[in-house]
Amino acid sequence: MTFEAIVFYSLSALVVISALGVVMHRNTVHSSLFLGLSLAGVAGIFASLSADFLFAGQILIYVSGIAVLIMFVVMLLGRASDLHLRQVNNQWLAAVLICCISMVGLWRVASSFSGSTVTTAAQPTTKLLGQLMMGDYAVPFELVSLVLTAALLGAIFFSHVEKPE
Amino acid sequence: MLEHAYLIPLLPLTTSLIILLFFKEDSHSPAPYLGLAAMFWCFVQSVVIFYGAASGASALPYEANWTWFSFAADVAGKGFTVPMPIGILIDGPASVMLVVVTLVSFLVQLYSLGYMHGDPRFKRYYAFLSFFTASMLGLVVSSNLLVTFACWELVGVSSYLLIGFWFEKPGPAYASKKAFMTTKLGDCGLYLALLLIWAKFGTFNITAMTVSAAMPGYLSTAAATAIGLGILFGAAGKSAQWPLFIWLPDAMEGPTPVSALIHAATMVAAGIYLVGKTYFIFVHSDIAMGAVAWTGLVTALLTATMALVAYDIKRVLAFSTVSQLGFMMCALGCGGYTAGLFHLTTHAFFKALLFLGAGSVIHAVHTNDMRQMGGLAKKMPFTFATMFIGTLAISGIPPFAGYYSKDMILEKVYAYNHVMFYLLTFAALLTAFYMFRMVFLTFVGDDRDHEKHHHAHESPWVMLGPLVLLAFLSFVSGFGLEHGGLFERLVNFKLPEGLVPETEAPAHLGLYVTGLVVASIMLSWRLYGRNDFRLAESLKSRFSILFSVLENRYGMDALFLGLVAFCDRVAKFAFWFDSSVIDQFFVDSWGLVTTLLAELSALVDNIFVDRTVDGFGGLSMDAGVLLRSLVTHGQAQEYLMYIAVAVSLFTILILSR
Amino acid sequence: MTLTHYLTLGAIVFLIGIFGALTRRNIIGILMSIELIFNAANINLAAFNRFLHPQGVAGQAVALFFITIAAAEVVVGLALVLAIYRNTDTVYVEDFSLLKG
Repeated sequence: MTFEAIVFYSLSALVVISALGVVMHRNTVHSSLFLGLSLAGVAGIFASLSADFLFAGQILIYVSGIAVLIMFVVMLLGRASDLHLRQVNNQWLAAVLICCISMVGLWRVASSFSGSTVTTAAQPTTKLLGQLMMGDYAVPFELVSLVLTAALLGAIFFSHVEKPE
Repeated sequence: MLEHAYLIPLLPLTTSLIILLFFKEDSHSPAPYLGLAAMFWCFVQSVVIFYGAASGASALPYEANWTWFSFAADVAGKGFTVPMPIGILIDGPASVMLVVVTLVSFLVQLYSLGYMHGDPRFKRYYAFLSFFTASMLGLVVSSNLLVTFACWELVGVSSYLLIGFWFEKPGPAYASKKAFMTTKLGDCGLYLALLLIWAKFGTFNITAMTVSAAMPGYLSTAAATAIGLGILFGAAGKSAQWPLFIWLPDAMEGPTPVSALIHAATMVAAGIYLVGKTYFIFVHSDIAMGAVAWTGLVTALLTATMALVAYDIKRVLAFSTVSQLGFMMCALGCGGYTAGLFHLTTHAFFKALLFLGAGSVIHAVHTNDMRQMGGLAKKMPFTFATMFIGTLAISGIPPFAGYYSKDMILEKVYAYNHVMFYLLTFAALLTAFYMFRMVFLTFVGDDRDHEKHHHAHESPWVMLGPLVLLAFLSFVSGFGLEHGGLFERLVNFKLPEGLVPETEAPAHLGLYVTGLVVASIMLSWRLYGRNDFRLAESLKSRFSILFSVLENRYGMDALFLGLVAFCDRVAKFAFWFDSSVIDQFFVDSWGLVTTLLAELSALVDNIFVDRTVDGFGGLSMDAGVLLRSLVTHGQAQEYLMYIAVAVSLFTILILSR
Repeated sequence: MTLTHYLTLGAIVFLIGIFGALTRRNIIGILMSIELIFNAANINLAAFNRFLHPQGVAGQAVALFFITIAAAEVVVGLALVLAIYRNTDTVYVEDFSLLKG
């Protein structure tokens, strides 16, 4: 067991276990907390894959942005009675079955890459990403900014409440 | 004057329209004077034209044409425009007829001032008179047969209006209807003849037709016969020839001056004149000529016998007119073109005179029945004198006008056919007999109705003036026109060779006939001249069957009425057949069959086709409902589940390879 | 550590996300599951970039776009959830059955 393997397995365990918590925990608030944990674990996986900017972006956007946002909403909409209700519908057995079948398929795909290992040393990626964003991917980059603006406006539009005069 | 001849028909037409549209109905209306002035102008112009022609100063025929309309025609693939000119053609007969028509019309209008005085429709009467004359004048001067035909019909309309002038009474209304329809029957023949003319000649211009017909071999005998018989039928309707003469005696229901106009100048002269105008067609066909001659002869004889027993003074004159028209027709058919038209001219004068005189008598005694007259000579000397002159003229006593024209006719007929000559002479003798019978019954003897005799009086001068003038003309016109061959020079038609056998009439033929006529008058005097009617009555009782046949006009009226009734019955039968056999049986049953078929088809449609269509619709509906109950609960996660199941199924598919 | 390990981890996280999306009754739970699916994809992208194309950073760039899009999606999604909640007073998806035919 190398150090690398230990890190990977521990991070993987964190990610998987907390993901399970997200989907299975009865309390939605706890679920959202588990989501934050899982996303943080994914950030660690990014770090182990030497994607340093992605690691930072994951922490900044997902863990501290999206997860917290979701948590707020959950707390906004939550009710005390929710804790006594089933949070899983009656399709769960079929879903498990489908997931198992799909897992077999995905495993077959993943196992075809068993010979592929890391051959080069890791390098910082921030500069390269910046050059890419301002160079080849300039147009998608700008489009994404447009999408963000639209999303912002849409969110305002949907959540806006007209006060009765 | 000749170049303004178009004024002659147009002036009275304009006058009639002006009177009709702009004058008010009023017993002191100036309408008659306007009509008189227009007619006088026409008369003067006609006389000038006639004088020019008679003296040889102006060359006849004179023709002027204006474009009326034109139309595109397509003959044998070649298209061209056919012009239809409207124009005037004044030849010798036309120049004579113009004088006759305008003079008689003028005198009749003058006479009507007195006769129609106080009539509630005075102005309308004058408008109609002008219109009648205008139509006749148009017929006389037209150079185009189509225009002639139009005027011909206008004459018919005018006569209808004038015969039925007192339309409140049933008699005139019936008579006008009868006249109109009978002449229309004749017009059918004329119309067919016009169609044939157009097919044969391709033009209606009389001059052009004359030139074409004169070319040898252009007009076949068959075509000439067909056209001639058609024209003859039309002329028989208009000029009241056998068998279409039934309307003329009834036409006496109109005002007497109108009768004078109809009998002398306008209506009945039109038929004779038209035959004269289209004579160049008749001469190509022996059959047509023979038909004309025999029609005239039969008419002359039949109506002369009918006149023997009539007691209505106007009816006697009407029968005599028809008889004289028969003389003219017979003359035309025998090749006596000049003789026929000569008799037409002289007859116009003395017949107008006789009618106006009869009108004067009726005006005085207020009855038409001669049995209620008698002895009027003392009361009405001028009327008696003028009418006596007219009677002498029509009987053919020299030197009156009728003698010359009738003599000319008889000579021609003698040359044509001896049997015909004897029959026609017999008709002439009958003419003298019944005309003198009329005069004797009316003016001579004792007064049979004292009341009426007492109130009788001489007519005013406005009525006597025309009588005197016409009497003068009846006296001189025969001699004057025949003198020096004037009429023959004006009115002549060069007959083709061999048409009429050149048999010379025996010398002094006219004198022999005159002798017979005098004998006939003597017989008339014996029977009716003295106040002793016993012989006449005994004759009447002995030959009562013959008398009743004559009084019933040989059953011609009954024949025509029977014909009408038969047509009526045929029409009713046709209507019955149409409505109850064709409609009910064929049309309705066919409709029933189609209805049944339609219902059957609808049944099949409803049961099989519609049900099948509905079944498919219902099937898809049921399938939709079933599938909906399977898949749709509106649950997003269920849809997602289906997707996932599909994906996993694909996965299994891939894995199983 | 081979690429297989990372892909397996991505697959597991993905399937957990799918399971959550299929079974959670709470609409926010479904949103969170979808976030997990996004992250599984991002893991795969980063892993492919690291193992198969270590010189470039295209995979990471695409992952970055994904993160951005996911953020936008969450924002819009949460706004919708709020709007729906305000109208229907519930967060359970089986109550949202307006599309039922």
